[in-house]
Amino acid sequence: MATESEQLESLVNRRYEHGFVTDIATDSLPPGLDENVVRAISARKNEPEWLLEWRLQAYRQWLEMDEPEWAHVHYPKIDYDAISYYSAPKSDEDRPKSLDEVDPKLLETYDKLGIPLHERARLAGVAVDAVFDSVSVTTTFKEKLSEAGVIFCSFSEAVQDHPDLVRKYLGSVVPRRDNFFAALNSAVFSDGSFVYIPKGVRCPMELSTYFRINAANTGQFERTLVVADEGSYVSYLEGCTAPMRDENQLHAAVVELVALDDAEIKYSTVQNWYPGDEQGRGGIYNFVTKRGDCRGANSKISWTQVETGSAITWKYPSCLLRGENSVGEFYSVAVTNNLQQADTGTKMIHIGRNTRSTIVSKGISAGRAQQSYRGLVRVMPQAAGARNHTQCDSLLIGKDCGAHTFPYMEIKHPSAKVEHEATTSKISANQLFYCRQRGISEEDAVNMIVNGFCKEVFKELPMEFAVEAQALLNVSLEGAVG
Amino acid sequence: MLEIKNLKARVAGNDILHGLSLAVNAGEVHAIMGPNGSGKSTLAQVIAGHEDYEVTHGSVTFKGQNLFDLEPEERAREGLFLGFQYPVEIPGVNNAYLLKTALNARRAHQGLDEIDAFEFLKTAREKMAALGMDPKFLNRGVNEGFSGGEKKRNEILQMAMLEPELAILDETDSGLDIDALKAVAQGVNALRSPDRAIVLVTHYQRLLDYIEPDFVHVLSEGRIARSGDKTLAHELEEKGYDWIREAANA
Amino acid sequence: MITTPIDALRDIVGRFPTTRDEDWKYTDLARARDISSRWLDEGGTRPSETPDIADLVGDIDADWFVIANGRLADIPIVDGVSVEKINELPAGDNALAEFNAALLDSGLRLRIEGRPGKPVGLLFIDEAGSPSVSQGFVEVAFEPGSRGEVFEYHASRGTGEHYSNTILCIDIGDDAVAHHVRLQDRALDHVQTHRTTVSVGRDAHFESASFDLGGGLVRNDVAIDIAQPGATVNFAGLYLAGDGQHVDNHTRVDHRVGPATSRQEYRGILNGKCRCVWNGKAIVHEGADGTDADQANHNLLLSAHAEIDAKPELEIYTDDVKCSHGTTVGQLDETALFYLRTRGLDPQRATEVLTHAFAAGLVSRIPVEAAQEPVSRLMERRLGELIRSEEDYTA
Repeated sequence: MATESEQLESLVNRRYEHGFVTDIATDSLPPGLDENVVRAISARKNEPEWLLEWRLQAYRQWLEMDEPEWAHVHYPKIDYDAISYYSAPKSDEDRPKSLDEVDPKLLETYDKLGIPLHERARLAGVAVDAVFDSVSVTTTFKEKLSEAGVIFCSFSEAVQDHPDLVRKYLGSVVPRRDNFFAALNSAVFSDGSFVYIPKGVRCPMELSTYFRINAANTGQFERTLVVADEGSYVSYLEGCTAPMRDENQLHAAVVELVALDDAEIKYSTVQNWYPGDEQGRGGIYNFVTKRGDCRGANSKISWTQVETGSAITWKYPSCLLRGENSVGEFYSVAVTNNLQQADTGTKMIHIGRNTRSTIVSKGISAGRAQQSYRGLVRVMPQAAGARNHTQCDSLLIGKDCGAHTFPYMEIKHPSAKVEHEATTSKISANQLFYCRQRGISEEDAVNMIVNGFCKEVFKELPMEFAVEAQALLNVSLEGAVG
Repeated sequence: MLEIKNLKARVAGNDILHGLSLAVNAGEVHAIMGPNGSGKSTLAQVIAGHEDYEVTHGSVTFKGQNLFDLEPEERAREGLFLGFQYPVEIPGVNNAYLLKTALNARRAHQGLDEIDAFEFLKTAREKMAALGMDPKFLNRGVNEGFSGGEKKRNEILQMAMLEPELAILDETDSGLDIDALKAVAQGVNALRSPDRAIVLVTHYQRLLDYIEPDFVHVLSEGRIARSGDKTLAHELEEKGYDWIREAANA
Repeated sequence: MITTPIDALRDIVGRFPTTRDEDWKYTDLARARDISSRWLDEGGTRPSETPDIADLVGDIDADWFVIANGRLADIPIVDGVSVEKINELPAGDNALAEFNAALLDSGLRLRIEGRPGKPVGLLFIDEAGSPSVSQGFVEVAFEPGSRGEVFEYHASRGTGEHYSNTILCIDIGDDAVAHHVRLQDRALDHVQTHRTTVSVGRDAHFESASFDLGGGLVRNDVAIDIAQPGATVNFAGLYLAGDGQHVDNHTRVDHRVGPATSRQEYRGILNGKCRCVWNGKAIVHEGADGTDADQANHNLLLSAHAEIDAKPELEIYTDDVKCSHGTTVGQLDETALFYLRTRGLDPQRATEVLTHAFAAGLVSRIPVEAAQEPVSRLMERRLGELIRSEEDYTA
């Protein structure tokens, strides 16, 4: 608590602070997409034949699909031939073996981002896998993790070192042709993270990945696969930043989570991709497919996200609740300011008996931003005893913003109990006046009220992420009032 | 300390104050009484700087400064406190956090360092004990789910922590049972000092049994219709407000 | 008697909404298309005589306007209501409205002046043919400052393939008060699409309650437009569905200006193999400051084969608003069931009591006095049938 107001102070007048460009040589493919590009990506990564074939099938399926238009977002058509589908920091061959070998400029980049990669990482007990543009750079704490039997490495390494695991689970939660962007990702994904927690292991530390888009005109297509074997537990954190550029950049990731019997996965995201400037120039198009499969009995998957970035967000972290008594959770704070647009929410698909889900969504819309909550709760005919509770609140700041709610409930079992509540309101003038009468500035009062509004979600985040999330929120809402 | 001259103000197109003048000096306790709709709350809101209230005429100075040049938070940092008639609920915002932020905003303005966390908690607990408040209230959302009496005690707690130079308490006694009323009065009396002034805005004389005012003013139709000492309050209790109105119109 | 060329009609039928349209995601109009096509194949004829209606509305104290098999029956003369027939309709903004305009004999325009002594009764009654199709179009305008009641009753004679496609437009003038009840008690193989549009004037008041008791495939669209400040809109609906029924209620409230208040509450009771859809949408447009909009939808699922698809939507484009919605799907409160059993009721009876209580909450809100008794009687009868069906709802 003591540092909170200091942070507030220090955050005043800050703009997007992660907007720098790292000046290092990159090895990129020319813009454009065809089968040769898919082959080139696969070849560069020295992939086995089955994976190349998998990618090619995804590519062919993608060609047949249409870009979805149902979301409440508007943007000019994306030219998929103007995007470069692969960009790696130079020379893949001599990849750094340890931090000492990493290009100091890169380390500096991570420093600026505040990534706890170095000593800070050790202190915080966080293992980091940093994905820079398309290639995973380095992973710390590998040894300590491997003692526990935990596999945490870049996706490319996993393909080489653990091909059976990758082959078994890749695409088993998000099939290649699940949707337009997932199919694109399946064809061209360049790297990402892979996690496997063996039976009965409680992962000894929080695992963390930082994603950063750097090169211009590059798409970033990472792929994350987390498998928690029977009785295991893992908490995984994901942070995202991108430099300021005045053109839009595409990000289309896929995240697959698999929780077997009695396993639990907690997946937290702080997404702060560049949102574009006040006039809506630039910013990331964030089209992400995230899905968790509670495959085993008594398994649990919990998504927590704080979304402050991106020009456009299209994202619905979901849970397939297959195992009996499995639990799905979704806690979300989404902030949109200026001309940002977000269409985000979740899907809870109740398949097994006595499955439970909780959805808490807090949306804050300011400036001329448009934000939508889109959610689906489906109770299948065999899901006896399913329970869902959804709380979905929107806070409006300013006359020109919008907040929309589109919750779908499809209930096919009579013993289901499904509750959905939603509210939309503005920050009340009385609350603001009350705080100001106590000597608190309007900006601080807004931050205070907004943080209070989001409290239920922040308390789900790991400690160090919660602090960062609050700070981000305040930066995002700068200039929203007044 | 506070000097109001010929103040006229309106809200939502209705003129409420019709030329009100009042001077409050350090060390004094004033009670402003009057029937519903006489402008008591409007006066309190205007002094605190609520934007819905439009000042059309007159001046208000606080410690020699033109009050209307100051934003609401600047007035607060200068030592002006309003105890609200209807304290607002702010869900999710921790009571202690609001209190500490407010206190530090005032301290920064005074050129003081931020209060030490331990010191803060200790003081807050002491003051809460004196007000008969459960320390658990510190960790609850601001006024969230508080009863009427709890909200009013919370206002007095904030006042006690912020140690304002001028406290205006708007109907702080309304809706209180006798125990709460005594606790609130005790809190106010503890704050009485030669460098502070207190203005009690109230409908009933009851509060004045526990907080003895130096001056009593009766507000009628947006003006001070009559001023006197504490005996005026008793006279009002007996004769009712009509008596003042008749006298004023005579 | 059909003036539009058959090919043009076929073209319209071909353009009926499909489940690929987001607004029709859960409701498939294949049966309406099929009945319409076959009816056109057979020359598009309709029964000519007006069926006897005395047993339906004889006891209800209202001035009845009857649309039988899509034809306007003799028009009564009513104090305080001016009446005219309309032949020219706007083409409509979707295929169903076009179909209505293309096939309509004549529409009815009513103007409520002052305070008519009795409610206006609108009876839409159809005799099943094999197959047959009928249209209906009624406009009710409330003069500024007037106060009146409308009781809309949709009924069937006999069973067989039948599709009715009807439109009711209610225009409420400034300061007017409109009370409206819709009772739909069609045969269980009837196909219905019904659209109600309401425009609400300055400081005007709209109170409405709808009851869907029958019908095989039913789709009701309600669109309420608030374009003047000060409006108050309260509407409620109850849908009961059993084996083979599909009942879809789509509501939309456009708040174009504020301040204004809209509240809606729909409740559903489902037993047997059936599906109900409720989609409530509130749109608060730019500048509609001071809007207070609330939606509620509660469903009781009593059967393993029943499905409810609920979607409460809010689209909000300004900040000075208070909007909320709540939706629940569930079963009867177990504590209450147990309580009743400790008082000696068997599970069957206890279930009946609580289910009736769930429905009664809406019956008590019927804003047209003359409709209270008939609606409540028919609702109780239908609910009794539903609860006593073979389905093992206590499992």
